[in-house]
Amino acid sequence: MALEVLEGGVQTTVQEVPGRVGYLDLGIYPAGPMDHFAFRAANLVAGNPAGTAALEVTAGGFRARFREPRVVAVAGADMSPTLNGEPIPAWEGVAVKAGDVLALRVPEHGGFRAYVAVRGGIDVPQYLGSRATFTVGGFGGFGGRALKKGDLVALGPAGRDATRHRFDPERRPAYGESWEIAAVRGPQADPDYLTADDMAFFFSHHWKIDRNSNRMGVRLESHEWRWARTSGGVAGGHPSNILDNGYPVWGVNVCGNQPIILTADGPTLGGFICAATLVEASTWMVGQLVPGRDTVRFREVSVEEAVRLAEALDRELTAAVQRVEGTR
Amino acid sequence: MSEAIIHTLPASEGRPRVTYRHAGDRFLLLEYGDMVLDLTTNFRVFGLNEALTRAAIDGVIETVPALRSMLIHYDGRRVTPRRLVDTLVVLERGLPAVGDLVIPSRRVTLPIAFVDRWTRADIERYVKFVRKDAPNVIDGHNAEYIARYNGLRDVEEMIDTVCRTGWWNACIGFWPGLPFMFPLDPRYAIVVPKYNPTRPWTPEGGVGIGGPCVAVYPVPSPGGYQLFGRTVPVYDLEQRNPAFSDNPILLRPGDRITWTRVTEDELEMRRAALAAGEAAYDIADDSFDVREYLRFLDDVRAEAEALRRRQEAAQRTVPVP
Repeated sequence: MALEVLEGGVQTTVQEVPGRVGYLDLGIYPAGPMDHFAFRAANLVAGNPAGTAALEVTAGGFRARFREPRVVAVAGADMSPTLNGEPIPAWEGVAVKAGDVLALRVPEHGGFRAYVAVRGGIDVPQYLGSRATFTVGGFGGFGGRALKKGDLVALGPAGRDATRHRFDPERRPAYGESWEIAAVRGPQADPDYLTADDMAFFFSHHWKIDRNSNRMGVRLESHEWRWARTSGGVAGGHPSNILDNGYPVWGVNVCGNQPIILTADGPTLGGFICAATLVEASTWMVGQLVPGRDTVRFREVSVEEAVRLAEALDRELTAAVQRVEGTR
Repeated sequence: MSEAIIHTLPASEGRPRVTYRHAGDRFLLLEYGDMVLDLTTNFRVFGLNEALTRAAIDGVIETVPALRSMLIHYDGRRVTPRRLVDTLVVLERGLPAVGDLVIPSRRVTLPIAFVDRWTRADIERYVKFVRKDAPNVIDGHNAEYIARYNGLRDVEEMIDTVCRTGWWNACIGFWPGLPFMFPLDPRYAIVVPKYNPTRPWTPEGGVGIGGPCVAVYPVPSPGGYQLFGRTVPVYDLEQRNPAFSDNPILLRPGDRITWTRVTEDELEMRRAALAAGEAAYDIADDSFDVREYLRFLDDVRAEAEALRRRQEAAQRTVPVP
């Protein structure tokens, strides 16, 4: 009842949706997948509830051997998945036998993270109510760390149902080089922290993704902001400084001149402004941004629109799951 | 298209201005007054936090109290920000003036070894590998620098100063379990600028000060605070001691911390006993009466001014890193 890791890759972690909710006031961000859409899609086509613990493979290089027959599904960035060296379809449940080796390569056509869901889920103990790996705190998932060669990852009970599913090819997201990500203005935007011009620039510029990006934060290029004030006063010399406050998950922090999207394992609290906050329906895109290559433009939405987008995305996810006839 | 600020409740007798801000479709940020460091504002944050918890508003998932603000995590599919703000305004109006608040606040006493060998080792590595001429390192440690920057006679007076006041834990965060503590007694309110550049290493349990804020490092990590000692673990993933039975984090927002000086050997024994579950952390439930505290502040105002004058004089000559 296990998956034997032959190669861990750049960073492969166990994740779960919604992650570890309810510990922000103790300094713990929720963790969970960087791309909740592909994560949930992988689970659904593997025959699992959408939030089931599965693997997040960052930038490829992951190989594992199955020790028993299962249905497995890979979704997200195209990492040219193979089984025993033979290509297998992504976004689709695939039956594997004991001894089969699944391999994911470095993505070449855009996207940065793929999800490997196995029917029955990854069976690791819950920590503070979740199986999600929190890389900063070193807990959750598989011993609080990324997988490495030799790890034996336990699987949950799979049941007898061998039905396979796939994700409607028409509805799979395209991972290009330029992204449009929906965000709500604030908490610290114009008129009191940044100028209206700063915010107009923020919502129109195509921001380059810095190479120095990970599960804690995705850095964008620096920019000379005009600022609506000359200093941070008691909080510090720079106008981006504020007295430490709670950071919304997926906030766009401005640290000095540099914007940083605070992601799944980010800091809960800090002394810099957040000019905007990404919305639930859009955060998944951040997980697919290719550092050093992609650009992002932020599209401003209202909270009302954001909630409608999130509901629409959930419907889209469920509607896209199709039953596949026959066995493979 | 839309505005960051949802609503502003003007200041009134006994209540600072309240600004309600959008923070995405799942968070809302509430701020009190202006950008000033004032513990009474933080007490109000705790007062509101209590009221919010009691009100059990549908759709509110969790809150993050901070110095002068509170981040509210809500379910955007169950409550609109507009309705949430309406409810918060009602709660705010029903909240007693800050002077009438009595806040649940535990008393936590932590042993500390001052100018210890563990922090010294990381500071010496900093001088060796990062900045040879760091003005904040004197005799291989930061303690003397903290003393000089505040116009204190020597390290002994600095240690005495740290031990004479209780420390209010205003919030926890940045790193899991990292407390942000401020001195409750202004007669002992030392301040110090941070490292420049930051220090790549800090021992677990290292205690340091940056600006007016004292922190304990929960795990070995980089840091920018001037170190003055080491204490017992405040973070234990294995949850070995009963103090960690709920979660791996020792301190809570609203705790009052007092330091007790111990030797390095005593600290080592204490750490081992706590880890083995053979000793208990010194924690007592209590409450904090804000009116009593404000009266105390009035009583010591003149004495606090004396320290401020010493600090001002010292800071004219002591270099910033």
